[in-house]
Amino acid sequence: MSPPEAGAAPPALEARGLVKTFDVRRGLLRRRVGAVQAVADVSFSVGAGETLALVGESGCGKSTLGRAALRLIEPTAGEVLLDGRSLTALPPGALRAARRDMQIIFQDPFGALNPRMTVAETLAEPMLLHGLADAGDVGDRVRALLAACGMQPFHAGRYPHEFSGGQRQRIGVARALATRPRLVVCDEPVSALDVSVQAQIVNLLQDLQAEIGAAYLFISHDLAVVRHIAARVAVMYLGRIVETAPTAEIFARPRHPYTRLLLEAAPRLRPGARSRTVVEGDPPSAMAPPPGCAFHPRCPMAEARCRIERPQLGRVGGADVACHFAEAAPTPQDEAPQAEEGMLARRIAALQAARAAVGQDRRPAAAPPPA
Amino acid sequence: MSLAEPAAGALAEDAAPPARRRLWLRLLTDPGAALALLILLVVVLGAVFAPLLAPHDPYAASRAVMQPPVWADRGDWTHILGADGQGRDILSRALYGARLTLLIGVVSVALGGVVGSAIGLLSAFYSRIDPYIMRVVDMLLSFPAILLGLALVAALGPGATPVIIALAIATVPDCARIARSIGVGVMAQEFMEAGRAVGLSDWALFRRYLLRNCISSIMIFMSLRFGQVILLGSALSFLGLGARPPAAELGMMAAQGRDFLLFAPHIAVIPSAMIFVIVLAANVAGDALRDALDPRLRA
Repeated sequence: MSPPEAGAAPPALEARGLVKTFDVRRGLLRRRVGAVQAVADVSFSVGAGETLALVGESGCGKSTLGRAALRLIEPTAGEVLLDGRSLTALPPGALRAARRDMQIIFQDPFGALNPRMTVAETLAEPMLLHGLADAGDVGDRVRALLAACGMQPFHAGRYPHEFSGGQRQRIGVARALATRPRLVVCDEPVSALDVSVQAQIVNLLQDLQAEIGAAYLFISHDLAVVRHIAARVAVMYLGRIVETAPTAEIFARPRHPYTRLLLEAAPRLRPGARSRTVVEGDPPSAMAPPPGCAFHPRCPMAEARCRIERPQLGRVGGADVACHFAEAAPTPQDEAPQAEEGMLARRIAALQAARAAVGQDRRPAAAPPPA
Repeated sequence: MSLAEPAAGALAEDAAPPARRRLWLRLLTDPGAALALLILLVVVLGAVFAPLLAPHDPYAASRAVMQPPVWADRGDWTHILGADGQGRDILSRALYGARLTLLIGVVSVALGGVVGSAIGLLSAFYSRIDPYIMRVVDMLLSFPAILLGLALVAALGPGATPVIIALAIATVPDCARIARSIGVGVMAQEFMEAGRAVGLSDWALFRRYLLRNCISSIMIFMSLRFGQVILLGSALSFLGLGARPPAAELGMMAAQGRDFLLFAPHIAVIPSAMIFVIVLAANVAGDALRDALDPRLRA
């Protein structure tokens, strides 16, 4: 699998040196006492139609990065390019027009829909706003969109509170894809859903991606889902990307010690089957990140150099890794077949089975989304 | 439905969307709310059609000075609710008085409510200007409505207009505070970000996302505030700041009856009871409105 930069066309999304800091203010006068660096100098790209998964523990800056990439949060520094066009300097009006090509799916299907708007209003809004439909044909387009997302036409007149979590997430997906965007940031789109519904939503996302050709920035901490949907994976730790590699590569040969521990932490069916290395301690405060490599206080391989010098992302085999010992570290190649066993493998198998079942019965019935 | 065919049953249930009950139907199923709305309706109709309904000229004095109402010992049917200290018919005066009382309540709540909620919601929407706006609102809030009324009457002379202005101004900070706290809660919801992500302008976001989600709560506050304002307006009239005699206003009627409280209590009690009933009905109706508008109770 080749990295997307190799293609002639510009990537759907390219971030260069993205930084987002939040001021911390305390006291009566709201004086600035420090800053949290949620995203620290992050560069990455997502090719057209590609799915890049962004994984990492809670608070590592995944969601902030996703929102900064869309300028929903104003980045402190750095540049974002959508299809080769810079978003950073766009004035408000042009940015709103550009939102046609970049959408977001939220984690919480209960909070992301306006409770006072019917499904039809919610779905018609982006199409009318960006001139993809007019008052005459918007009803047909909403129904086609609902059908493409596995909903019924009469659902259009209902309010969000009348739906289950999975149905609401379908509506959220439909809204994000109503404008046939080039890029969709999926901010943990399935982590609030139960497992059987997760598989449906993941499949829906994949089907629609095949239809529309949108690129996904898939933020998640669920490795089974990531493995199923993503072509490449970027691992984040404390605001920085520490490893990027094609999905198969990163699951077979995790090179950064944090990636390795993250994969180790995935739940297993037989707890006693293998000795587990646990990531010890809490992530350090983002207000006062440790000098050198941010991971060194918890890293089993840390040496003196790690406390002083911060490693840069560098090419090692098929991956980009930010670790001084990435090449020296033993790659657990012999363990690769075993990585497939356990809960992770079961859930991946379940996802694939659900996908196969959908391919057989549901696919022909679903109408394509509006052109 | 038998257990053998749950899928078909579930499908049938899903295929037939239940009809939504209309807001007023939901309101009327609550007996307390229905009664409160009925009372308000009667008062409003009585005020609107006062010239047709009033049995006497509300300003004409007669010899029936301090005549008690019909159910008392010396009462008769010429003056159903009795007559006041100058022999004026209390029923007629109450009908005309309710006009002014309701006018003061509606106009000042509408004016103050619209301005106040606009300030509050803007403050919630643009968090950058929030602290500055809210400090000004706090200053207004600490200024008593009665004092404001006194000052305005001193400047403009007595009458209904300064009372309405004073009450509208007094409603602004209360309503701004409430609207802001409702708005801040709505702003924190993810759908606001979703609206921005879709590409909506600030104005569309404000109107379709923020305002639509706040308006019912604000309306409820205003319906409750209506009762308070009528009470305040009556208090100002009672103090002699509101309507000028001989105009009829419920609060002023109560004030005039005060002199005869011991030997003709009905002169003060009847308008006071009317104020009490109107305020109570407005509060009950506001409460019921909140229940009826709550989306979680919608079926």
